[in-house]
Amino acid sequence: MAKIISIHSFRGGTGKSNIAANITTLLAAAGQRVAVIDTDIQSPGIHNLFNLEGEAITYALNDYLWGRCSIRQAATDVTARLETPVAGQIFLIPSSVKSGEIARILREGCDARVLTAGLRKAISELELDTLVIDTHPGLNEETMLSIAVSHALLIIMRPDRQDYEGTGVTVEVAGALNVPRMALLVNKVPTSFDPDEVRERVTQTFNCEVAAVLPHSDEMMLLASAGIFVQRYPDHPVTAALKQVVATLMV
Amino acid sequence: MSDPTGTLLVVDDSHLNRVRLSYSLNQQGYTVVQAENGRQALTMLRQQPYDLVLLDIMMPEMDGAEMLRRMKADPALRNLPVIVVSARDDMACVVQCIELGAEDYLTKPFDPVLLRARISASLEKKRLRDNEQAYLEQVARVTAAAAAVEAGTFDVSSLDAVARRPDDLGQMARVFQQMARQVFTREQQLRRQVNSLQIEVDQARMRRQAAEITETSYFKDLQQQAQLLRDEMSQEHET
Repeated sequence: MAKIISIHSFRGGTGKSNIAANITTLLAAAGQRVAVIDTDIQSPGIHNLFNLEGEAITYALNDYLWGRCSIRQAATDVTARLETPVAGQIFLIPSSVKSGEIARILREGCDARVLTAGLRKAISELELDTLVIDTHPGLNEETMLSIAVSHALLIIMRPDRQDYEGTGVTVEVAGALNVPRMALLVNKVPTSFDPDEVRERVTQTFNCEVAAVLPHSDEMMLLASAGIFVQRYPDHPVTAALKQVVATLMV
Repeated sequence: MSDPTGTLLVVDDSHLNRVRLSYSLNQQGYTVVQAENGRQALTMLRQQPYDLVLLDIMMPEMDGAEMLRRMKADPALRNLPVIVVSARDDMACVVQCIELGAEDYLTKPFDPVLLRARISASLEKKRLRDNEQAYLEQVARVTAAAAAVEAGTFDVSSLDAVARRPDDLGQMARVFQQMARQVFTREQQLRRQVNSLQIEVDQARMRRQAAEITETSYFKDLQQQAQLLRDEMSQEHET
């Protein structure tokens, strides 16, 4: 049975899309057929990591939601766009970067049920092993429904006061949605912090497993979403930590 | 030839022999202390460190052979070199003394040049042995320090003596201390910084906020929808 993994954060700017793209690539490197869907419709961006220009997107998730195409048509095979070939296959279902489309979503919202139906269709039509959902930050209906149908949820947070309470609420809500597997990832941690202490403190505060504590990485910042980190830096400690995250989520 | 320095214990029951020998050794630069029999000498050996013993054999109270036997039975005195200086020239006595651990054996009257050479050679051997012993003890301190670092019980000052050595071992100890100090400082710094990572979350308010979402009929409907979706996905998988 295909697995659905949601990558979520309460606030934006946590590195959620970056983590989602890297996890997707690691799964594909392991030979899986994986799709990553950008449900962050109001501020899309994951297509950049797969070197897919916004203008090159024929159909996006928005088109599917408005009934202008099938979910299959909204999926682009980005496997060949990777810097290093992978054994599996990656499909990207991007969100539109067109301002009119974004404005329409903000104005009218979208039907969460159409979205979840799209997730199911994507799994069957693309014959996926795993579907990775890059969620919209916060807790709106389509995000909660996406989380609810997930087998695993990874909540990204930064060691930032603005993240703590919202992350805590997200953990509680996700618990009520009975997600089988849930873990936190603490991202962009200043290198002066002791990762083990951070892990222990976060675990205790949120009563939730911490899959990884990723230090702030100059290499990641310099890459600036212009590529997939785990491919550019296969031997970097952050890559090793992300592999561990994948192992945690796929249990 | 080594420097004529060191503290020697001259053990002889003849006052004249002791004075003559002591005078000669003093002239060569040694510090000399006298004892008139084995018992007195053993007591003195346990009170302060000596570098060499010049020992007569035939003495009242405790003779030289018995004193040698007791010295070799005492771990603190076992390695102190002893040169026997005796009027006895029979081979049985020489063999017995050598077997008991004497470093050398000279018969009276002795040639002062020969005695000087043998004292000098014995002291040199002792110095080499002491140095080797000290080196091994200090190597053991460094290895113990490595184990202490692993156990988190390392005390930087435990390597002070080793770090004063001018050789490679001393350099290793100094680098070890320097690295340990740096790590310790860094740990302290990190501890202070981690302490500044305060995750202040009002758990009650957090739960209240979560409950405001999860206890709504909208959320209950969402839960039902989610369950329905899961069931459908599961059925799709089975078919």
